[in-house]
Amino acid sequence: MTGTSFFSRRWFASVSAKIIIWGILCVSLCFILAPLLFMLTAAFMPAGDIVKMPYRWIPRGFFLSNFVKAVAGNDGSFIFFRNLFNSLVVAVTVSVTTVLLSSLTGYSLSKFHYRGRDAIFMLIMATMMIPFEAIMIPLYIVVTKIGIQNSYTGLILPFLVNAFGIFMMRQYLITFPDELIDAARVDGMSEFAIYRRIILPNSGPVIATLAILSFRTQWDNLLWPLLIAQTEKMKTLPLYIVKFSTEKYTDEGAMMAVALLASIPMFILFFALNQYFIKGAALFSARKG
Amino acid sequence: MMKTMRSSGLLRYQNRWGAVFVLPALLFFSVFNFFPILNALYTSLFQKKVLSLDPPEFIGLENYRYLLASSSFWNSLRATMVFTLGTFIPLLIVSLLLAVLISQRRFGRKFLQIAYYSPAVLSSVVAAAIWLLIFDPRGLANQWVNYIMRTPGVDHNWFSNAVMVQIAAMLVYFWKYVGYFVIIFIAGIAGIPTAMYEAARIDGATSWQCFWRITLPLLKPTVALVSIMSMLQCLKTFSTQYLFVQSGAPQAPINVITMNIYNTGIRDHRIGRASAMSIILFIIMLFFTWLQFKSMKTDEVTY
Repeated sequence: MTGTSFFSRRWFASVSAKIIIWGILCVSLCFILAPLLFMLTAAFMPAGDIVKMPYRWIPRGFFLSNFVKAVAGNDGSFIFFRNLFNSLVVAVTVSVTTVLLSSLTGYSLSKFHYRGRDAIFMLIMATMMIPFEAIMIPLYIVVTKIGIQNSYTGLILPFLVNAFGIFMMRQYLITFPDELIDAARVDGMSEFAIYRRIILPNSGPVIATLAILSFRTQWDNLLWPLLIAQTEKMKTLPLYIVKFSTEKYTDEGAMMAVALLASIPMFILFFALNQYFIKGAALFSARKG
Repeated sequence: MMKTMRSSGLLRYQNRWGAVFVLPALLFFSVFNFFPILNALYTSLFQKKVLSLDPPEFIGLENYRYLLASSSFWNSLRATMVFTLGTFIPLLIVSLLLAVLISQRRFGRKFLQIAYYSPAVLSSVVAAAIWLLIFDPRGLANQWVNYIMRTPGVDHNWFSNAVMVQIAAMLVYFWKYVGYFVIIFIAGIAGIPTAMYEAARIDGATSWQCFWRITLPLLKPTVALVSIMSMLQCLKTFSTQYLFVQSGAPQAPINVITMNIYNTGIRDHRIGRASAMSIILFIIMLFFTWLQFKSMKTDEVTY
């Protein structure tokens, strides 16, 4: 019954198109996933197995001494844990301040009317055009002058809030129902209480997206800590990875073990909250008027 | 009743709070953005060394003149431009292609999105560290290239050849960010009403025609936004090149502007010169941002 239509030209064309499409997807997927799989497997291999042709994708066993070497460091100081802690402190603090300040500012810029409001908004948006790389030297000098280099304050202060976060919160709060705010005012709530008890609790998804974005940016930050974290104790994880993986005595397995350890927090966040990661990226596809 | 309660006095009182709420951010941006960029502009006119006790000497545009005559600075501009173009063009084309292919899948779309996106989750130093081992003479990069090109046993000198080390840096960046742009394009494609495709199908359009006549024109604002965004990102690249150089790759081919600023200002303590470089970087990025705004204005699309 299906004989003629089954082998028609149209059927043939659609099947070959499908094969090509799946071929492209599979090859690109391999290219994307292979380095990740390489990190994951090499972390459990002795160095001799890693730089070997051909690479064996399955470790012969769990070679855990890589991880011991990775956290102990070549000097056996275990500074890894301190650097990990520093990274966490900086990333968490920056996420919290970014969320609080962005939402407060976004609330002000969307729900209040005062003179110069739109000018202030434009001024804040203008800072998006100033790349951090262009102001890092003056910032470094200021920070050194007031003596907060090599401290948490110095690591955190330049990133308390950013224009993009304010933009995001403002766009969201523009559509926030005025009735809710007015009802709270009638109930005699102060303006700050409205922010704290009405605005913040009702902005969950935007806040999550923004917090993740800020956390990742700081977790990834290499340049600023490189400038101002002078002692081993104040260094952050990216600096530890650079130092460890460029030292002469570091073997390949330990290098991948440290890379894996540094990625675990991000991967846990990613698999638990991937919709917010994707939302954060997809924001940029929004058509602007 | 409501109207009289919200008299102008009360309203003004409320709005005063709004102005108070904006103050912390305004203060922050003044101190940590506007002051430093003005300061960089000012410092770029002086000969200033960080450790010297002499007061900085005003030398006008001497720093800029020096830079424009310096081969090392031109090399940095070249390295940055090569990296930017060599990274963002493949990024744009490949991510658009993949996004179109993934958008058509009914099954496994979510899985594919997460899989492609996963390298973007890694920090740039980790990404660079992984590829450092892949580019090892006995590493995976040589094995793959030799397998595809049927040239067994050849070492492609990923880190000793000036051209190869640039390609290596681009590859790391491309690998890390391609999934990120795929996600952006998928979201953009999802915004196109399906009715348009259905109508085109009824008129007998092929998938190929649908892409060129519907998807691409309607995606133009997203394409413009993504290209400028990735360009600005590429112009600021630092981590990959820094790790490569630290682990023994030749510096000159991948000495991008940010690395030059870092080395001039922090290692050599030439603050004035580094500030002049910062200002030039700022102007280049300003130009691209302006281009972005311009393209967004002319590319408005109505569905």
